[in-house]
Amino acid sequence: MRSFQQNVGKLEAADTQVLGVSMDNPFANKVFADENGVTFPLLSDIGGNVIREYGIYKEYDQFHTKIPAARRATYLIDTNGKVVAMQVDTDAVDPTKTVRACERRKLKG
Amino acid sequence: MQRVSIALLLAYFLLTPVARAQIGSAPEVKVGDLAPDFTLVDQNGKPRSLHDYKGKKNVALAFYVWAFSSD
Repeated sequence: MRSFQQNVGKLEAADTQVLGVSMDNPFANKVFADENGVTFPLLSDIGGNVIREYGIYKEYDQFHTKIPAARRATYLIDTNGKVVAMQVDTDAVDPTKTVRACERRKLKG
Repeated sequence: MQRVSIALLLAYFLLTPVARAQIGSAPEVKVGDLAPDFTLVDQNGKPRSLHDYKGKKNVALAFYVWAFSSD
């Protein structure tokens, strides 16, 4: 999410709102946002329903227990609510592709 | 007997994908699909919906594993 924060200016300039989503609770997101200067909304999908609906639910093996969470994924959604670009897993960590896709759309529009 | 076996075999192959689809999560959202709408609470307790941005802004929806992960 820090990498998205570094690019939030470019995304906003291309008429794009960044929304982070995870299964963290709002309190954890608040601490994380404050400590890292995150200015965009970090949304709590506590039960994982939205994450399941997008098909990126995963159980991670940590300390011999399975911890449910989201996979790393970025969806670029246009003003009509349609998915126009997406990256999953390691591709989704660097927001450069999303930034470029937004800037191309801005030029077209 | 043979006919019953064939029918069973056919039923198995026809029904297994249906059963699997029901057990697994919903189909993955892909490019070109309508993004499923949602309302979730942000870090300040404010509800945010995907449809709030419809007709106004693009949305970069960034799913992350957990808040304090390194990237």
